Amino acid sequence: MITFQNVSKYYDYHTVLRNVSVTLEKGEMVFITGPSGAGKSTFLKLMYMAEIPDEGEITIDNRQLSSLKMSHVPLVRLNIGVVFQDFKLINTITVFDNVALALRIRKVPDRELKMRTSEALKKVNLRHLGDSYPRSLSGGEQQRIAIARAIVSEPTVLLADEPTGNLDPNTALDIIRLFRDINLHGTTILIATHNRELFRGTGKRVLKLDGGSIAGEEVG
Amino acid sequence: MAMPFSFKSAFQSLYREKWINILSIFTVASSLLIVTLVVFSLYNLELLANRLPDRFSMIVYLKDTVSEKDVQDVLDTLKKRQDVSGLKYISRESALKELKVALKDASHVLEGLEENPLASSVEVKLKTDYVSGTAAALISEELKKIPGVNDVYYGEKIAEAIHLLKRSIQNISIIIFLAISMGVIFVTYSTVKILFYRKKDEIEILKLLGATVGFIRAPFLIEGGIIGFSGGMLGILGAFLFYFGVTYRLSIVIPVIKTLVFPLEILIALPLTGLVLGIIGSAIAIGRLRF
Repeated sequence: MITFQNVSKYYDYHTVLRNVSVTLEKGEMVFITGPSGAGKSTFLKLMYMAEIPDEGEITIDNRQLSSLKMSHVPLVRLNIGVVFQDFKLINTITVFDNVALALRIRKVPDRELKMRTSEALKKVNLRHLGDSYPRSLSGGEQQRIAIARAIVSEPTVLLADEPTGNLDPNTALDIIRLFRDINLHGTTILIATHNRELFRGTGKRVLKLDGGSIAGEEVG
Repeated sequence: MAMPFSFKSAFQSLYREKWINILSIFTVASSLLIVTLVVFSLYNLELLANRLPDRFSMIVYLKDTVSEKDVQDVLDTLKKRQDVSGLKYISRESALKELKVALKDASHVLEGLEENPLASSVEVKLKTDYVSGTAAALISEELKKIPGVNDVYYGEKIAEAIHLLKRSIQNISIIIFLAISMGVIFVTYSTVKILFYRKKDEIEILKLLGATVGFIRAPFLIEGGIIGFSGGMLGILGAFLFYFGVTYRLSIVIPVIKTLVFPLEILIALPLTGLVLGIIGSAIAIGRLRF
């Protein structure tokens, strides 16, 4: 279970998140939506500790993030798969190695690593591009590499920041279908998007962020 | 068996940034070559300095009144000492004989003497460690107290010079080694720091993916180690070229150069020194990683 309790985040004098209190149940799939600058990305960053809240408390599986030592940050991140908005791919290594990196960090044996990486690439329809370098691929393809890397380690929590921003509508829906499949296996998923088409008809909870505060909630 | 990821990553980086790495390896090699040449010179100087104490001895003059038993007692007392490595008794008669041989044609100066003016003596060789001005003076004072001993003579200046030479060699070695070590650390530090900055984004990604400090640092430490180790190997190559090229050619003109010894320990010491210094330089360059 993930809990945000009265969480606020400021950048200089600018309030990005204000007094946000939310609970995400284990195994839930939630969309977070809102206009640009609403605080969606910051909301996700606080969960994988790329940002630290100025006020309030975040708890993941009964572990208070504020009480964690810096040396324990990797432990939190190892349980979370993240699809970054700017992909964060390493351009000097191949697509295969980019995806496999998530498993190498987790010290997965070589044989299993190859198998799982191929499997993840297959799920995003990129198996044929394993030997290519990210820089030579389109934005949509790079986004799918980022998705493959986030799901390959089978994390307990999956965060996706605008995961379909560079994809055509059909591929975008394919990716949402993939997330729903992963969610069926018990992974908690939080997707930040401003594209309402993604959650329409999914029956999943949608949190609306506006001006750094929770402005409402609906079912997609 | 597959190469561990950190090694693979280090080798890939070495290849990708080959020019800066080659330059660093050559700089490290040049520094370590200087160390080798200094060690080579000092090692041979030390060998020479170690041979000098063999020629150093003390002369213990015995009183004119000593009997044969007294002489034996003095010799026994000297033999028991741990600082003494050898003894040679010279009777008054053999001392005179030696003097006559030494004087050769001028031996007639001794003709007017009615009796042998020389005293019997014991030539005492000291162990190498005790050949220093202070130690020899202390031993000399102790020997004077042995019954039957009249006086003790030793070359204070020689003893002091030998000791000073050995100490200077050691001090110079330490200073040069430290200075060059700092240089090698600085070279690897700078190289790894540059590589570290170039890979800043990559490191950020690794952190966000949950990589531990060890996982991120390992390739850099390996890379620094490889630069240092390769520099050491190249330094050996340079040292061999110098030894066999320069000294061989010079020995034709100056034969004494043939007696110079190349310390083989350096074959292991140099790459290992490079490796350790390279790793230290890298560790300083990476510093503390923050999440």
